[in-house]
Amino acid sequence: MSSAIGASLTLDAIRACLEGAVPATIATCAPDGTPNVSLLSQVHYVDPDHVALSYQFFNKTRANILANPIAVLQLIDPPTAAQYRMELSYLRTETSGPLFESMKAKLAGIASHVGMQDVFRLLGADLYRVTAIEAVPGGAPLPAPVAPRSLLSATRRACEALRGCADLTELLDHSLCALRGLFGVEHALILMPDAATGRLFTVAALGYDSSGVGSEVAPGEGVIGVAARERVPIRITHMTSDVAYSLTARDGAEDAGLTGGPAREIPFPGLERPHSQLAVPILAGRRLAGVLFVESRQEMRFTYDDEDALATLAAQLGALMQSLPPAEEVAPVPAACPEAGGAPVVVRHYAADDSVFVDHDYLIKGVAGAILWKLVRDHTTLGRTDFTNRELRLAPDIPLPDFAENLEARLILLQRRLEERCGVLRIEKTGRGRFRLVVTKPLLLQETA
Amino acid sequence: MCVFAAATRLLVVWNRTTGEAFVANDGQRGGQRGGQKSGWPDRTGPDGGRPARAGLSEAILHFLERGVSLVVSSSDRANRPRVGRALAVQVPADGAWIGVCLDRTANAALLAAVAETGRFALAATEPSTHLSIQLTGEDATVTAADAETTILAARHVDAFAAELALIGYGDAFTRALMAHDPATLAMVRFRPSRLYDQTPGPKAGTAVPP
Repeated sequence: MSSAIGASLTLDAIRACLEGAVPATIATCAPDGTPNVSLLSQVHYVDPDHVALSYQFFNKTRANILANPIAVLQLIDPPTAAQYRMELSYLRTETSGPLFESMKAKLAGIASHVGMQDVFRLLGADLYRVTAIEAVPGGAPLPAPVAPRSLLSATRRACEALRGCADLTELLDHSLCALRGLFGVEHALILMPDAATGRLFTVAALGYDSSGVGSEVAPGEGVIGVAARERVPIRITHMTSDVAYSLTARDGAEDAGLTGGPAREIPFPGLERPHSQLAVPILAGRRLAGVLFVESRQEMRFTYDDEDALATLAAQLGALMQSLPPAEEVAPVPAACPEAGGAPVVVRHYAADDSVFVDHDYLIKGVAGAILWKLVRDHTTLGRTDFTNRELRLAPDIPLPDFAENLEARLILLQRRLEERCGVLRIEKTGRGRFRLVVTKPLLLQETA
Repeated sequence: MCVFAAATRLLVVWNRTTGEAFVANDGQRGGQRGGQKSGWPDRTGPDGGRPARAGLSEAILHFLERGVSLVVSSSDRANRPRVGRALAVQVPADGAWIGVCLDRTANAALLAAVAETGRFALAATEPSTHLSIQLTGEDATVTAADAETTILAARHVDAFAAELALIGYGDAFTRALMAHDPATLAMVRFRPSRLYDQTPGPKAGTAVPP
């Protein structure tokens, strides 16, 4: 068997074998040399020199590797049936953290795929160093299918498209545009974290009937929440029946129970029965700046290569988010808004959670709700229509967390919710760090504790 | 009678009186996309059905000769494991051994280890049901294949292709996976000394007297 390090055949070159589509075979032997061979449901790519195997039961394979750390795998390339052997040396077992969580999520999909959802349960991620790889001699592999696109080219062009973006709105819009046009992604979301609560809220969406802008995901909830909490891509290649990874099954009970009164939950827009899901954390330096989420009705839609491509795009997005200059204004331009007419609409604010309802319909809550409440108060009491980002950042009644793009993200969220849900209010950008509140009907404000 | 492994779909049952083990199905054949009834016999052995061959019950032998996945391993003198894929199992009517057919080109290191140490393990798994058993022996030898081996290998590839078709694999895939040169076949002969239930679940790896 040739050495994996520096040899022509690398682990990266055979990653399709590690997608869980076809079981691998593992051979180990006891200290007395007695061999053991069995099928293996999951071989997980860790990095160019390491793989991790799922530890689900304490069986003969596990007893052997704890006593004699050498294992040999025989792997099958799903599209071609080409076979490879890989020699491994056991290092350690991880029972929590990013590696464990990414394997656990993937195993949930594999288990449902093979009808073993009640049997497969990850106890640990056994980490191995890859010491040698060889192609099994002989055989007659099928020709490799032609890939529908070059992910490397798509990644390059997507990163280039982001480079000229002037603000967060453009970054988010260009990202979704690149996902659709260059990566062929049909359903995607971008979520950003609330620094105070850690919850993620949707700021941009692609390919859903209802955009779900403003919908929230808790850290650790579903593939998005786990990706955010562990800061690692989470990918499921088959539809899973594991409710831990279902986001659409949630109801608003938790939220309604917190504050009482009418429901304040914006439904999560995800597919009801996704067959492939991938959530990639967006990091700005060491800080979590968001999560990029894509999903599909097609099995095995997102591979290791897709994961790498979207992780690269997310890295670029995170770096650009961090380097955006603060959107500070020059002087506000005087308003030139038409006079609002007709019957007044009731805008009600609940101070407990800063939720805002327009004519009894829930619109927004939290920081974005506080911003809207300030805008409509200033509008009705002072007649103001033009505002600046800077004054919002300094306003004592807006509980804005520390980071600059948190304000940007909240304004984007508010702007999009108003567009989707409110016919009488909208926000228009009027320049760098400036925007206008456009009000088309008289407002009647009501404050509720 | 003692039930050793009770994963949902496979029961390996040991008769304390006769010391025999046999495999019985609990009637829930079929994974997510599984197919027909498996038809495991309830009981075979000296007092039911044909005499056991290679020390194994007819039910297990019948299972090995079906369109199952056959993977094998050995270890060399330095206790390094070797792994391979087999093409067929042969159990002569009067034999005390099991023959396992392998392609020499694909399995040179494994065959060298078998010749060196005599250690051998065979795992047979039915993909549509996850039924799986492992047999190990310490006296394996490598012999030349004959014309019958070639026919057996071709027949097993057909059966395996039919089995994999039940769970959605195309015929071309299975035949590419099992492609071999009839001129380079070898036969590993061994007497199974241990039998393990290997159906996925907490009982996987449980040893059962053969």
